[in-house]
Amino acid sequence: MKFSIFRFNPDTDTTPRMQEYEVEVSRGMMLRDALMEIKRQDESFSFRHSCGEGVCGSDGVNANGRNVLGCITQVADLKEPIVVRPMPGRPVIRDLVVDMSQFYQQYRAVKPYLIRKDSLPEQEILQSPEQRDKLDGLYECIMCGCCSTSCPSFWWNPDKFHGPQALLQAWRFLADSRDQATDERLDALEGPYKLFRCHTIMNCVDVCPKNLNPTKAIGHIKELMLKHAI
Amino acid sequence: MMTKNRPVFLDLTQLSFPIPAIMSVGHRASGILMVLAIPFLVYMLDLSLSGAEGFATAQSVFSGWFAKLLMFVLLWALLHHLLAGIRYLLIDFDIFVDKEMGTLSAKAVMVAAPILALFIEVLL
Repeated sequence: MKFSIFRFNPDTDTTPRMQEYEVEVSRGMMLRDALMEIKRQDESFSFRHSCGEGVCGSDGVNANGRNVLGCITQVADLKEPIVVRPMPGRPVIRDLVVDMSQFYQQYRAVKPYLIRKDSLPEQEILQSPEQRDKLDGLYECIMCGCCSTSCPSFWWNPDKFHGPQALLQAWRFLADSRDQATDERLDALEGPYKLFRCHTIMNCVDVCPKNLNPTKAIGHIKELMLKHAI
Repeated sequence: MMTKNRPVFLDLTQLSFPIPAIMSVGHRASGILMVLAIPFLVYMLDLSLSGAEGFATAQSVFSGWFAKLLMFVLLWALLHHLLAGIRYLLIDFDIFVDKEMGTLSAKAVMVAAPILALFIEVLL
C-alpha cells in the first residue's frame, strides 16, 4: 500500500516535503504498525507513539485529512494512498512530531484538579452513584489533542481560546460534586475567547477517538453560567 | 528555545471536513453574501417604489436570467442561514449535540435550503 508522509528535518530542511513509501499491509494492521514499518525502512523518520492501544494518546496524526490515533485506526479503513501529516495548526518539531505546549497551557489554565475549601476529611470524600455518573464521558479524555487541533477556533486563537480538550476538563471539574470552586471556575471562563470562541462546529465530536463530546460539555458550562447569572 | 524553524501544517485544502463543518462555513458565507447584497436590494426596492415607471424598470431588471440566478443564490443564502441558525439555536438548547444528529441535521439544512429556494423561485 502506498503512503505519502509529511517529512521535515529542522537541521536540513527549510520547508516540509512529502515522501512516498510502500508498505506491505497485513490483516488487521493499524496505522501505527505501518508507521513503524516505515521507520524500519527509513530510520530518519520520526513520530510519537507509546502504548499502542489507544490509552496513552501519543500517536495523534492527521491521516487523509482527519485527525486519528494511529494505534486504533485500521489501515484497511483508510483510502489509498494514505497521506499522513502532523496534527494541524501545531508547530512541527520534526516529521509528525508537533509542539503541544500551547495545548498543555490551555489545559493548565482550567485548573484540572479538585479544589476544596473545607479542610480535607480523614477519609475519602464520598460520592453517590448518581454524582459519580456525571463524570462519565468526561474523565476518559487521554489528551491526544485530536479535538483541539481539528477545531477552527483553536487554529486561529490557540493562545486565547481554551479549545475543546481543556473545556471538556473544565466541565469535568465543574460537574464533580467534590469540587468547591464553581464560582471561581465560571468567573475564569468569562470573556469573548476562553469559552465563547466555541461556535459549535463540532469537529471535536467528529474526531474524538474516545467518542467523547466536548461540544456538549461546553453547552453545559454555558448553561451553568446562565443559572449562576440569574 | 533551540530553534524557531518550525513550520505549521494548516493547509485547509488538504483537510477533510465533516458535513457540520461545511454547513458552518456555508452559514458564514451566506451571511456575508446577504450583507453584501443589501445595497443592491435596497436600491431596487427604492426604484420599484418611486412610481409606475420605476416599478416597470425594476420588473424588467428582475426578469433577466442573470437577475433570476442572483435571486436564487440570495434566496438560497437566506434559507441556509435561517435553517442553520435554527439548528444552532437548538444546539444551544442541547438538541442535536451528538455525532449522528449533528451530522444528520447539518445534512438536512444543506439539502432543504436549495430545494426550498428553488420552490419559492418557481412559485414567484
